[in-house]
Amino acid sequence: MKRLADKSFWNAVWLPVAILAVWQVLAMRAHTPLFPGPWQTLLAISKLYPQIVGQLGFTLSRAGIGFLIAAVLMVPLGILLGRLKLLGKVLEPAIDMLATLPPPAVVPIVMLFAGTGDAAKIVIIAYAAAVPLLMNTYEASRTVHPSANLVARALHLTKLEAMLHIDLPAALPMIATGVRLAVSSALLVAVTSEMLLATNGIGVFIQRQQENFQISGGLAGIAFISLAGLIINSIVFQFEKRWLFWHYRNANSKG
Amino acid sequence: MALERWILRFRSLVSLALILAVWQGVAMLELGPRKYFPPIPDVAAGFWSMLLSGELLAGDSLTLGRALVGIVGSSLIGIGLALLGEMVPAFRSAFRPIAAIVQPIPPAALVPMAIFMLGLGFKLYAFVIILVTIWPPYLNGAAALAAVGDVEVKTGRMLGLSERDILFRIKLPAAWPEIFAGIRYAATISLIAVVVAEMLAGRDGLGFMLIRKAFATRIPEVYALMFVCAFNGVVLNALINLLRWRITGWHMRMTERTP
Repeated sequence: MKRLADKSFWNAVWLPVAILAVWQVLAMRAHTPLFPGPWQTLLAISKLYPQIVGQLGFTLSRAGIGFLIAAVLMVPLGILLGRLKLLGKVLEPAIDMLATLPPPAVVPIVMLFAGTGDAAKIVIIAYAAAVPLLMNTYEASRTVHPSANLVARALHLTKLEAMLHIDLPAALPMIATGVRLAVSSALLVAVTSEMLLATNGIGVFIQRQQENFQISGGLAGIAFISLAGLIINSIVFQFEKRWLFWHYRNANSKG
Repeated sequence: MALERWILRFRSLVSLALILAVWQGVAMLELGPRKYFPPIPDVAAGFWSMLLSGELLAGDSLTLGRALVGIVGSSLIGIGLALLGEMVPAFRSAFRPIAAIVQPIPPAALVPMAIFMLGLGFKLYAFVIILVTIWPPYLNGAAALAAVGDVEVKTGRMLGLSERDILFRIKLPAAWPEIFAGIRYAATISLIAVVVAEMLAGRDGLGFMLIRKAFATRIPEVYALMFVCAFNGVVLNALINLLRWRITGWHMRMTERTP
């Protein structure tokens, strides 16, 4: 058992290590600060990490607020559209069209109304997070099993109660998928919006490093974004496992 | 009832008309300053003038072409890596941490670094798009290939197929629907990545035009460009759906028979 664990550990590690080694060799041969290797990046991380963590804090708090606004607005809207079938069907192509509009394309417009401050960035992040949340919630609440609706009628639930106690829980697994997509796109757009509407945050930090030809500093920033993304994704996954245990239990017993 | 059926048949048009009507209504009520929220005819005029001057077609063909090349490249690489992982399990477990590390990196963060290493040309766009769009086809493909049922594989073995035949004639066809779901998601990201890269690299394409028109406060044209961006998504989706129908038509006929 011990040896098996060791083996899978090495399996997981050899390729990244090999890539880092090749990169280091290439960097040493290029021998220019414009093409830093992993070692230089590590040095930059150790030098800059207090600054990076501070800037990352701005970015993450904006991403979090934008995501929360999107979730509070879009999950109820999605469930409502799933209930009001005709309205939902008519608006479906409009939602699809909105989904194909890339969030950065909205930046110039938001800039006109909200300037370049925190508010503008949060609006853009909320828009980016809203699309997957709305699409998944709508899709899930549209396809709630018909017998669940019969149960609601048999229990004499009002429309509101039915939405709250039947549609919402039934839609949760798909909403969770939407949440996962929305979280990653919120993070992505948070960084993008900072680079386009520069004030503070990790995106600005990376851009400044680049403008000063500190490529290794920029790579250090990217490494921290990647780490933050990794941690946030695993937190979302943990929550999902915790709150949706009933869904996974059923799915497992079926297969 | 007849009205409802009629609405549902033309729901795309109804939807578009609804958007335009709401837009026009908001613009005419002047809820926002007229300069920042122009009525539809102004936006159409902006679109028309850009179309006549030829800049729209030039910019959009660049953007769409980049997105298309990127999505084709990353789909092929993603599927290739997924197949490789299926043939060599050691590779799959070695590739997993790399996917986990690279996947959360936003394309915008890569652009400044990549400009230094690759310049402003086509290589920049290819690198950025492929690095961010490769994951959905790869992850979906790897999961779907691994999930092909034991029965199918054993049937293939019983029929005397070689391992290679089993991979290409049983596992890959079974995995196509999932792979296409990944490719469709990747198409959305690739459009985002192209526009972002154009905005930051700032030389040509729709993203560059958006930024330039916005700073020149030619607002109707900015809105027109936004409509074009959305339209690009529709075009790309239609292309992928066509391909999906050709390759996995059997599966779609089976699962989407219900109206």
